[in-house]
Amino acid sequence: MILQALKGYYDRKAADSESGISPDGWELKEIPFVVVLNENGSLIQIEDTREGEGTKRRGRYFSVPQGVKRSSGVAANLLWDTAGYVFGITDLEGLGEADKKRKLSRLIEQKKAFIDRIQNEIPDTPRKKALVAFLSGIEQSVLEKTLQWDDIYRTNPNISFRFDHELMLYCETEGIRTALVAKAGSKEYDGLCLVSGERDKISVLHTAIKGVWGAQSSGANIVSFNQDSFCSYGRRKQQGWNAPIGESAMFAYTTALNSLLSRDSKQRMQIGDTSTVFWSAKKTQFENDFTYFFAEPSKDNPDEGINHIRTLFDSPKNGYVEDPDSTNFFLLGLSPNAARISVRFWRRGTVGEFAGHIRQYFKDLEIVKPKNEPLYYSLWRLLVNASIQDKSDNIPPNIEGDVMRSILDGTPYPATLLQLVLRRIRSDTENRVKPVRAALIKAYLNRYYNKEVIQVALDTNESSDSYHFGRLFAVLEKIQEEANPGLNATIRERYYGAACGSPVTVFPTLLRLKNHHIAKLENKGRAINFERMITEITSHFNDFSSHLDLHDQGKFAIGYYHQRQDLFTSKKE
Amino acid sequence: MMQDWCLEVWGEYACYARPEMKVERVSYDVMTPSAARAIFDAILWKPAISWHITKIEVLNPIRWISIRRNEVGKIMGEPTQAQLEGKSGDSAGFFVEEHRQQRAGLFLRDVRYRIYGWFEFIPPEKRKPRLSQYDEFWADSEEQTNNTRSDESPAKYAAMFERRAKKGQCFHRPYLGCREFACNFTLVEGVHPIKEKINDDSDLGWMLYDMNYEDPSCPKPEFFRAYLENNTVNTDRRTLEVRS
Repeated sequence: MILQALKGYYDRKAADSESGISPDGWELKEIPFVVVLNENGSLIQIEDTREGEGTKRRGRYFSVPQGVKRSSGVAANLLWDTAGYVFGITDLEGLGEADKKRKLSRLIEQKKAFIDRIQNEIPDTPRKKALVAFLSGIEQSVLEKTLQWDDIYRTNPNISFRFDHELMLYCETEGIRTALVAKAGSKEYDGLCLVSGERDKISVLHTAIKGVWGAQSSGANIVSFNQDSFCSYGRRKQQGWNAPIGESAMFAYTTALNSLLSRDSKQRMQIGDTSTVFWSAKKTQFENDFTYFFAEPSKDNPDEGINHIRTLFDSPKNGYVEDPDSTNFFLLGLSPNAARISVRFWRRGTVGEFAGHIRQYFKDLEIVKPKNEPLYYSLWRLLVNASIQDKSDNIPPNIEGDVMRSILDGTPYPATLLQLVLRRIRSDTENRVKPVRAALIKAYLNRYYNKEVIQVALDTNESSDSYHFGRLFAVLEKIQEEANPGLNATIRERYYGAACGSPVTVFPTLLRLKNHHIAKLENKGRAINFERMITEITSHFNDFSSHLDLHDQGKFAIGYYHQRQDLFTSKKE
Repeated sequence: MMQDWCLEVWGEYACYARPEMKVERVSYDVMTPSAARAIFDAILWKPAISWHITKIEVLNPIRWISIRRNEVGKIMGEPTQAQLEGKSGDSAGFFVEEHRQQRAGLFLRDVRYRIYGWFEFIPPEKRKPRLSQYDEFWADSEEQTNNTRSDESPAKYAAMFERRAKKGQCFHRPYLGCREFACNFTLVEGVHPIKEKINDDSDLGWMLYDMNYEDPSCPKPEFFRAYLENNTVNTDRRTLEVRS
């Protein structure tokens, strides 16, 4: 199903001529240098396609015949390859004598393989002859005169060819294309493809998937059988036969996945250690905007994300903007394991379903907050504020994926999330319950009970005692603040942890202290007002509990937060 | 044709590994016919019968869980020629601690299915040849000439299956795709239509039907296009196209 959905995405993209996805047998490759030849095969210049600055300079991407999968042997690509293959020359500095010798003989082999492929696979034309003549007659002294030679010599980059007065690479020209298509059409069928259900040539080795965060930069595989224990019925020798996938399906799924994972892709997200890609069965706005719902807004344009979330709320009950609700939407989470890629999660649903769940996620997080707080919190901001020292390095490894899964499934958040944020509140003596933490606890509790147990703002009718303990604590703190302005350590620093853990041990002391603080207040009206507040709050419970469990500690934090927000909001009469 | 028996099976976890993702395992969305067949086999199997699965009903919503666990990355070697001849030598086994590796898996959670199947009775002459090198042993000539398996009939095996399934007897503990995910079962008698819609109808893609063991040295996989409709996957070979 995963591979099938990826193939579906490829087919969708391939049908759209503007998508720029490679046709079967081709791939997009970065080609930093293009050798420009004239019709006789003499070198005119070497073109530098790189853009950008300093070490970040990157070459342009060209559509080239698909590269071969190389391990240790010599195998050349068609009409493009590294300088070692094309010129038979690379930097040998720093190698020992024996290594140098081995490398040199290998370079000769490489260059021969490169020329052989052109000889064997391209129909005879004057241009082919010119190219082969150029390749066979390369002299280092000529190359050294070109401006780019230094860079090429040092970095061994990909190189391809272009004839003078032409815009496209030689390998992209009509003649080469038709020749390659004809070759692809003549392959033999030898098995049943489990993705398409059709007979096809079974692919033995699959193209590597690049761009999974943490995996080898040369790419890793989803479908691979690199040990005996992975192979069924002794199919060690014919690896791909363990899971017969036809070459065209293999090409489609790897190309689709590589394009989804590519650096500029808008359809990827990093969730914890999991690289996540998403797509819909048909073209939708939702798939383009999906990242905005979870990403931290960019500094350049902080409103952009907010606008997308607002659109999400404004769009009809299900679906998103004008996307049909029933369009299938897919999410695939990948993470590396050894040289392979493992699927961490796979969700299939409709746009309507996902939009609904994400809407619920933002609704759960709604809470009264000061004006300078962001309207919506990104997932990262939520988690970082629940982690030790508010550092993203300290976000526990699994939590992000677990929370994401809960959001997308509309299920309760993992219990570890509540533990995490409560622990953080206890240890953060300075800030205690920040708005973002309060929002997180509210979302957790409301999801857990699957109803609005906690309101957006102060709720004097709340039924749980612990909520009112929190409120009481906030009022006591306020009294102290007003009685002794500019105090270094208030009861918040000293008593919050104990008060939310075992109220009975501290509240009697705090209430006694309160009497001293109130006596200090100069404004008697204010003092009476506070006393009245305390009476109202204490009327909700009979006694202080000896112990609060995690959920009650959460309610305590919310009560404290709500009451505190309420104290600082000017009342309209 | 024999009747369709129905078993209700359930368990905490299940993994019907897709062939393309069987290293870092990812399960199919629902049980495969071959896994269902294996459950029937676990309760009653004889060379005389072969089970066929007609449909699979999915009674619980499809839920997933991702787990990392330790596995062993090696298979047992075969004994050397010298060892077969009775001489001692290096052990063919290996020490698991040296071959542990951590692998990820995407499994199913809290599954419950109703599986329907019937068995085909295979007459003695059509059975696979026995692998034993010795001739069949008979008590006397009368047994050989007159009574050769005269007691053998489909009804006998049907009764055996029913009795065993009702009592919860099995030859080996049935499992949900992987040995480590043990399966509970009960025989369902009568008709129990599913009232509510639990899972959305969907196209599950090409799914493994079973392995074709006709050539024992190289079994071939067979695939069919699975659709989940009204919580049911039709797996009846007589109405389906199975490709291999």
